[in-house]
Amino acid sequence: MTDSAPVLDVRGLTVDYGGRPAVEDFALTIAPGEIVGLTGDSGSGKSTLAFALLGLTRGPGRIKGGSVVLEGTDLLALDEPSRRERRGRDIGLIVQNPRGALSPLHRVGQQIGAAYRSHQAVTGAQAAAHAVDMLRSLGLNDPERRASAYPHEISGGMAQRVLIAMALGSGPRLLVADEPTSGLDVTIQAQFLDEMWRTVRKVGSSALLMTQDLGIIANYCDRVVVLQNGRQVEDAPTRSFYAAPRDSYSRSILALRKEEALADATPSRLLEIEGLRKIFPLRGSNKHVQAVDDVSFSIGRGETVGLVGESGSGKTTVGRCILRLVEPDAGEITFGGASVTSASPAALRRLRRKLQVVFQDPFDSLDPRWTVTDILAEAIDGKSDKARIAELLRLVGLRPDVADAKPRALSAGSQQRVNIARAIAVEPELIVLDEPTSALTPLARIAIIRLLRDIQARLGVSYLFISHDLNTVEHMSHRVAVMYLGQIVELGTREQVFRSPVHPYSKALLGAHLVADPSRRRVDRTDIQTLSGEIPSPIDLPRGCYLASRCPVALPLCRDQPQPLVPAPDGRLVRCTPAIASLKQVMH
Amino acid sequence: MSEVLELADTGAVNVAKPAPSFLFRLGGVLVALSLVLMVMGPWITPYDPNRPTFEISEPPPALTEIPGLLWKVITGAPHDPIHWFGTDSSGLDVFSRVVAAPRTDVAIAVGANVVSLILGSLLGLLAGFARPWVAGTVMRISDLIQAFPVFITGMILVTLAGRSNMTIVLTLAFLYTPIYVRLTRAEVLSQRNRGFVDAARVLGKPEGFIALRHVLPNALAPSLIQASVTIGFAILMTAGLSFVGAGVRPPTPEWGLMIAASANELIQGEWWSSLFPGLAISLTVFGYAAFGNGVERIYDR
Repeated sequence: MTDSAPVLDVRGLTVDYGGRPAVEDFALTIAPGEIVGLTGDSGSGKSTLAFALLGLTRGPGRIKGGSVVLEGTDLLALDEPSRRERRGRDIGLIVQNPRGALSPLHRVGQQIGAAYRSHQAVTGAQAAAHAVDMLRSLGLNDPERRASAYPHEISGGMAQRVLIAMALGSGPRLLVADEPTSGLDVTIQAQFLDEMWRTVRKVGSSALLMTQDLGIIANYCDRVVVLQNGRQVEDAPTRSFYAAPRDSYSRSILALRKEEALADATPSRLLEIEGLRKIFPLRGSNKHVQAVDDVSFSIGRGETVGLVGESGSGKTTVGRCILRLVEPDAGEITFGGASVTSASPAALRRLRRKLQVVFQDPFDSLDPRWTVTDILAEAIDGKSDKARIAELLRLVGLRPDVADAKPRALSAGSQQRVNIARAIAVEPELIVLDEPTSALTPLARIAIIRLLRDIQARLGVSYLFISHDLNTVEHMSHRVAVMYLGQIVELGTREQVFRSPVHPYSKALLGAHLVADPSRRRVDRTDIQTLSGEIPSPIDLPRGCYLASRCPVALPLCRDQPQPLVPAPDGRLVRCTPAIASLKQVMH
Repeated sequence: MSEVLELADTGAVNVAKPAPSFLFRLGGVLVALSLVLMVMGPWITPYDPNRPTFEISEPPPALTEIPGLLWKVITGAPHDPIHWFGTDSSGLDVFSRVVAAPRTDVAIAVGANVVSLILGSLLGLLAGFARPWVAGTVMRISDLIQAFPVFITGMILVTLAGRSNMTIVLTLAFLYTPIYVRLTRAEVLSQRNRGFVDAARVLGKPEGFIALRHVLPNALAPSLIQASVTIGFAILMTAGLSFVGAGVRPPTPEWGLMIAASANELIQGEWWSSLFPGLAISLTVFGYAAFGNGVERIYDR
């Protein structure tokens, strides 16, 4: 980096919450043009720090000491009006939940313009033109129309870009982004971070990126700072950090990168799905959403099949159809030789005990009024069998004293362990894991992944692992199915799909995957296929291949003919004739 | 593995509960007092609330006399009978009647609310779980009941069915049931798609079991909070009905009746026989409202 004066120089910053330090003696310098990643588990003080840097600390929080020097001026020594003037002009902030940060009553162009006008002496018309320019430079097509849209009319990814436009409007020297991509789909996340990275590099400003995702840091940051319980435990260049992290938090998170062998699956088939279809009617109109469109696959005993796709791809609906929590419209699901789709209520009740589920939100899945003992006793036929409950708690790695606790008193990770204990209590043969780690902190996520693998090795249970998080899917699955708009577009072994995806959508999805390894940065890779445009609405699907309008290899016939899911020469299934043809060429 | 397990917390954590506010405590005391008087009020009155004394329209003792009178009561010294709140134009002791009235007022209000809460939450559960036409019917009937002005409907129904405590309880229960139907149904609709409900379905639990054991207990909170406010309304309504002569029969000690009976004397300066029952109504209604508000805050966390 350059050796000129730092943009930001923080020293001895201490923030207190009613006597308890939330951030202690924090020091950080950011050089011009540098992107620094700040990570740490939930509650480590990241957001407290972000607000303190901008002088936005709210009661009961109090800044106890230290200095935040931005380009030679100590922000903490200024009075509030002069601080406000610098906020937005010299420091920009991007927060999580883009839609929540926009006023629903004003057009987005107005909001960008208002942020700009509060720091620059310009007319309303100039500000409006500036807003349109900002949106254009962020790669939005038709920026004039977007600028006159209300926040509810634009997608989450676009709302996030509006926030960058607001934060970058006055050309701040420092951009603070607090979990800017949480809640976004992987392809949108990559698009957004690419743009932020490019913009920051182009205007030569600096950025402080706070995230729990070590993949984002490996891909976009020059330096890494780790916070643990408000203390700075690491400050190192990205490459040396990933090569040898010094603190225990980072070591445990990065430990999962190592490949670990999965328990062997037997070839005998446990679950078979054939031609599954589910359509949801839209309220108040005669339109409908095609949630699941001709999905077929099978799961073997002791096998894990990963189901990946972006939000709205129908992966959760597939899981709910298997459990008959929603009634499929067409198709046949067979479990251990018995039909699930045509089972009578009594047969279904018996069947369901072999078929369990773990949901995404661990707290929502536990009755808040019941104790852990009550919850587990419900699963084992209402009998409060103390020994069995203790055994289940031990199996999922919970201390015996949680038995009398109610869910509210447990951490999210422990709650999810209770959910897993309830699922394995009936000794099921298949567990549908519907985003089981998405609501957890990185540390809890790794512990749950290990636990699930451990349970599979011990009990030989099969999993359908539904997730949008490619990292966890890669560590759990024997085979992986990629879904796009209700269809499986590629189905193959973990190695086939993750190492050499064939379908253009799988390629784009995995290209957007941010690996926690600075030597495999996305910005350095040249072979990445990106998709243009937005996902078509599942209400008005195209006639031919659903991807044709965004696909870089689309042939004219793709637009008219639906593509069949057919076997490729290496055994995987692909829903793309041109891709299979080129794969054949490569193999010959 | 070991390092991860060391860092991941696998035990229980403590959740701090907020300290109850002053208003909540005050409300709790008033609610408790009203319930105690409902049970024991008529047994602890210094005078028989229904038998006139010889002092007619006697004002309450002046403020300056109270310490002396109290001293006499405590030491057991011989003294004239004391009418703390004075006597009314028939010579009835106002204090005794104010203390004895909760047996009627609070009992009617609590009874009506218990009946309507049970009925309303079960109907609300039904409306939240059953087929659309059942739910629609229940909700439209609720609309119909709520479309009439509560007080006038109450007056008419009590008059038609005959003025007794039981008819008042049933009339109020009938009028308040739609409130609980509506609240419970709204909550049931949001609770029945929670993860733990689906998890119970996947465990093979029957729908009825799920509705009664999982959904209903978690859907009751808004109704229970509403109940404390509605009990206050019901006390007002009971008093109001007797004030217009459509409620409890005289000479039952009842706050509304007492105010109605002494309304004429108020003009002649006999303020005490209507002021004290009025204060009793206000304090009780306030107490229940403050209590309900506090309960809501605790639930909200």
